[in-house]
Amino acid sequence: MTGRVIVITSGKGGVGKTTTSANIGTALAKAGNKVVLIDTDLGLRNLDLLLGLENRIVYTIVDVIEERCKLKQALVKDKKNPNLSLLAAAQTRDKTAVNAEQLKEICDTLKEENDFVLVDCPAGIEQGFQNAVAGASEAIVVTTPEMSAIRDADRIIGLLEAKEEIKSYKLLLNRVRPSLIKSNEMMSVDDVVEILSCPLVGIIPEDTGIITSTNKGEPIVNDENALAGKAYRNVAQRILGEEVPFLDLDEPKGFMAKIKNAFAKLKAKV
Amino acid sequence: MGLFSDIYNTVAKFFRPQEEQGDASKSVATNRLKLVLMQDRTNLTPKILEQMRGELIDLLSRYVELDKELLELNFEQEGEQVALMLSIPVIRAKDEEEIEAALKAEAENLEEKIEAIEEEIENTEDISEENFSENNSDESSSNVISTPEEMNSSKNNEQEVSFEECHSEQ
Ligand SMILES: Nc1ncnc2c1ncn2[C@@H]1O[C@H](COP(=O)(O)OP(=O)(O)OP(=O)(O)O)[C@@H](O)[C@H]1O
Ligand SMILES: [Mg+2]
Repeated sequence: MTGRVIVITSGKGGVGKTTTSANIGTALAKAGNKVVLIDTDLGLRNLDLLLGLENRIVYTIVDVIEERCKLKQALVKDKKNPNLSLLAAAQTRDKTAVNAEQLKEICDTLKEENDFVLVDCPAGIEQGFQNAVAGASEAIVVTTPEMSAIRDADRIIGLLEAKEEIKSYKLLLNRVRPSLIKSNEMMSVDDVVEILSCPLVGIIPEDTGIITSTNKGEPIVNDENALAGKAYRNVAQRILGEEVPFLDLDEPKGFMAKIKNAFAKLKAKV
Repeated sequence: MGLFSDIYNTVAKFFRPQEEQGDASKSVATNRLKLVLMQDRTNLTPKILEQMRGELIDLLSRYVELDKELLELNFEQEGEQVALMLSIPVIRAKDEEEIEAALKAEAENLEEKIEAIEEEIENTEDISEENFSENNSDESSSNVISTPEEMNSSKNNEQEVSFEECHSEQ
C-alpha cells in the first residue's frame, strides 16, 4: 500500500491549519481510511489537544528521530477511532531538532502502512515549513478571507509551485462569514479564488462550535449538526475523489427570514 | 445608540441596495491585494524599479526634454488589470534636427567607446602576458583592467553628458 501524504500549510499563523488537520484526519478515518496525523510544529504542539490525546503522549517525533523509540511506539491511537493515530511534536525542542530529510523518511515509512499521512505544518516559510513539506506530494493551503492571510497564502503557493515533489495543491478557505460577505465587508469566496487562482477544496464557515469542540478535545466533524463539521466532512469526501457541491452558507433567505434575523440581531443588542 | 435608532438602521438596511453597504471595505481590500501580490510575484524590487526609471529617462530624453526629478513610475490598478503607469512631465519636445544630432552624437560616442574598450583589451592582453611571464604581483593589472560595473557606469555618465551638450549647443 502506498498512501497519500498531504501537508496542511498556510504561511500566516492562526488561520486554522491544526483545526483543519484534526478534522480532515478524523473525517477520513471515520470513512474507513487508515490515517496518521503528524504534528510538525515543534515547541508549539497543539494537535494532541484538539484530538483530546494530550495525556497519552509518551514519545514524540524527536524521540523517533533521535532513536529513543521505534516509529510505531510513538504513534498514539485515537480514543474512538483505531484507524486514526497521531505522531506528536516535541514540546520542549525547537525547529532545529529535525531536518527535512528525516521528516521525509518518516513520511515515506508511514505511507507504506496508511492510506493518508496528514502533516500539520507550522506557520512561516522557514525551516519548519521546509521540513513539513519534504515528504508530501499534495498540499492544502489554508487561508481566511483577510488580506494578510491571502498574501501569505500566495507566497506559500509560489513556494509549493517550485517544489517538484508537490503534484497538486488546493485552497481551503476558513472562517468565512456569509453575513459580512453579503454586506460587501469581506472578500467573497470567488474573490479569493480569483486572486490566488488556485482550485478550492473547501469552504469552512466561522463557527463558535469550533471553540467548544477544542475545549472538549473532540473535532467538530463528530458533531452531526454543526455547519463547520459538515463542511469538513465534505472536504474529506472531495479528497477521496467525490464531487460534493460547496455548502450554501447564506443566511436564511426570504422576507420573513430576514425579519426574524433582524429581530434576533436587535434582541442581541438590547 | 438607543433602541429607536437601532430599529431605524435595521429597517433602513432592508431598503438600501446591498452593494452599497460597506462596498468600500471589500473592494479596497481586493484592489490593494491585487497590487501587492503583483509586486510580490514579479520580484520587482525598488532597486530594479529605480534602474528601469533611469533607463526610461535615457531613452525618452532622446526625443523630449523632460523634468527628470518629477518623472513617476508606479503600479496602478486599472479596472481588472494592474498597469505600469509612467508619468512624464515634458518640458518641451525636441525637433527632428536635435533628435538626429543626439542620435548621431550617441552613435559616435558609442564608436569611440568601442574603440577605447578594444584598445584597453589589447593593452590588458599585453600586460597579462607580461604578467604571466614575469609572474608578477596583481597590483599592476588591477589598475588597468576595469570591472564590468565600472565600464557600465562610465558609459551611462558619458551618455548623459552627451545629451546635456546637445541641449546647450542649441
Ligand atoms: N472556522 C472557525 N471558526 C471559528 N474559530 C476557528 C475556526 N477555525 C479556527 N478557529 C480558531 O482559530 C484559532 C487558531 O486555529 P488553529 O490553531 O487551527 O490555527 P493554526 O493555523 O494551526 O495556528 P498556528 O499557526 O499557530 O499553528 C483557534 O483558536 C481556533 O479555535
Ligand atoms: Mg497549528
